[in-house]
Amino acid sequence: MKRFSSDWYWYYVINYTLVILIIFPIYWTFISSVKTPAELITSDPTYFPETWTWKYYFQIWNYDLSSTWQLSSDDYMRLETKSLKESIINFFIPNEKKSIGRAFWNSCFVSFGTILLTTIVCTFAGYALAILRGPFKNIIFLLIITPILFPGVSLLIPLYKILKDIGLLNNLYGLIFLHSTFMLPLGVFMMRNAFISIPSSLREVAILEGTSELQIILRVLLPLCIPGLLTVMVFAMYVSWNDYIFAYVFVTTGEREVLNVALAKIALGGNEFDMKWGSITAGSVISFIPIIIFYTFLQQYFVRGVTGSAVKE
Amino acid sequence: MNFVRKEKIIFVLMVSPALLLLSVFFIWPLFNSFWISFHTWPMFGKPKWVGLDNYIYTLNDPRFWETLKFTTIYTFTATPMLFIVALITALLCNVRTWGTTFFRAMYFLPVVLSFATASYIWLWLYSELYGIIIYVLELFGFGGPDKNLNVWTTPTSGLWAVNTMVTWKFSGIQMIILIAGLQAIRDDYNEASTLMGASRWQTIWHVTLPLLRPSIALCLILCIAGGYQAYEQFLIMTQGGPQGATRTILMHTTDMGFTWFKLGPAASVGIFVMVIIFVLTAIQLRLFKPH
Repeated sequence: MKRFSSDWYWYYVINYTLVILIIFPIYWTFISSVKTPAELITSDPTYFPETWTWKYYFQIWNYDLSSTWQLSSDDYMRLETKSLKESIINFFIPNEKKSIGRAFWNSCFVSFGTILLTTIVCTFAGYALAILRGPFKNIIFLLIITPILFPGVSLLIPLYKILKDIGLLNNLYGLIFLHSTFMLPLGVFMMRNAFISIPSSLREVAILEGTSELQIILRVLLPLCIPGLLTVMVFAMYVSWNDYIFAYVFVTTGEREVLNVALAKIALGGNEFDMKWGSITAGSVISFIPIIIFYTFLQQYFVRGVTGSAVKE
Repeated sequence: MNFVRKEKIIFVLMVSPALLLLSVFFIWPLFNSFWISFHTWPMFGKPKWVGLDNYIYTLNDPRFWETLKFTTIYTFTATPMLFIVALITALLCNVRTWGTTFFRAMYFLPVVLSFATASYIWLWLYSELYGIIIYVLELFGFGGPDKNLNVWTTPTSGLWAVNTMVTWKFSGIQMIILIAGLQAIRDDYNEASTLMGASRWQTIWHVTLPLLRPSIALCLILCIAGGYQAYEQFLIMTQGGPQGATRTILMHTTDMGFTWFKLGPAASVGIFVMVIIFVLTAIQLRLFKPH
């Protein structure tokens, strides 16, 4: 087969067509979110926005749209006239407590917490199960990877009851604990494999020099496990940022809602209206931007994490 | 001796956070879910042992059977769509040439979005009056002269609309699994088959696919287990409608538990789902057992 024979021509035609089809929804969402109302709500769609507007982003970031579908002109003016400093402050502190901006930071908090807790717990457990000698080692390992067999969602009712009993219902920390628990099988598995692959002589030398166990992990072994660690962290972010059902069922107060759940209010409320579609596309962009940035830089760890949860060696 | 003992203590200390999380948020709920399903939960007062009553209630509940039927239809229509798209993209990406890495990255991209975000995006694409998909479909003459095509009016069109979204969103994972399987196949087999005069399609059908068996099994097991856990795509896109015809089994569980507060029957539905997924997985493992 020669390189530029007609076979290859068709190969690229098919591939590029598929790529365009797959990227199109994301592209379309983005350009819809910056179109002006007249251009957005039309039976004659344009494929590139003629005039750009960031109005929908400002509105959903600051206001609870499910209660007020139209902003007053005062609110509007305040959004339009802002200095850079005010805009930066506004980015971190949205005007209202039940806004997408607030939900975004809630989501960030839960994701960050899950990443932190998962990393700490899985590193320690993986290290202990890989290297140290201890009682019931194999049983503990099997126990930790069992949740992968059970669909977490079938435990909704008992989880609700337990969260209520220990006072973590309607609480973002509860979500962090739940997400971390369902991260355990993959996380411990990955970290254990990473530690096993390091030659044991390294640890022996460190012990002879009188290094403590914690220092051995942090200074000597962990730097060698960066790929495994990154996979665990990226997958924790993926699980936590993308979770819907736990957040939807267990956290119901408006100001504690996470991004995915808060967006549902805009999507399910209101009429076929430029405010609705402009807001929902802008909200979708806000929710997928962080994860797509992560994907761009840490692509191989993403692929390994997401499929690693399925492929058991 | 002292050294070994110290190591054991450190071992226990390091494993205990993981075990604590596991027991509070997994093992305890697992046993608790059986316990709840054998009790009745009045608004006030103590739970009462009722034996298998909750299970009998669930089995006599028409809503359980309707949602189970719909979830099964969804699972067994979405799985082939997903699998065929994944297989095509995997075969396309398995060629070693310029651009494969790029194509693979692009095909995998929708996987990183959440089901909720993907649903919002596609809700806009399917929007009754201004959605681009509706616009394109109308260009091709769907929807009749008065042009009021709405995919959410019948359960069937709603189901296929969601299936399309799920295929877009999820086939990347299956693709990566299949590529891993394809790369494990040694080149000799393909070369031998080409030397014996087989066409490309014959090679794929008679050589590649049979050797891909374990990966195919994994893909299908994942798809089917995932299908029975479908929730947000239907909650957001069809909202269970029209007339509750596209409600999934999980929506039934949450409604039972958190809208009507029938915790006992809801827990029993959860156990039924678990058993169904286990049985289907076991059947597939048996079917795809290597010779």
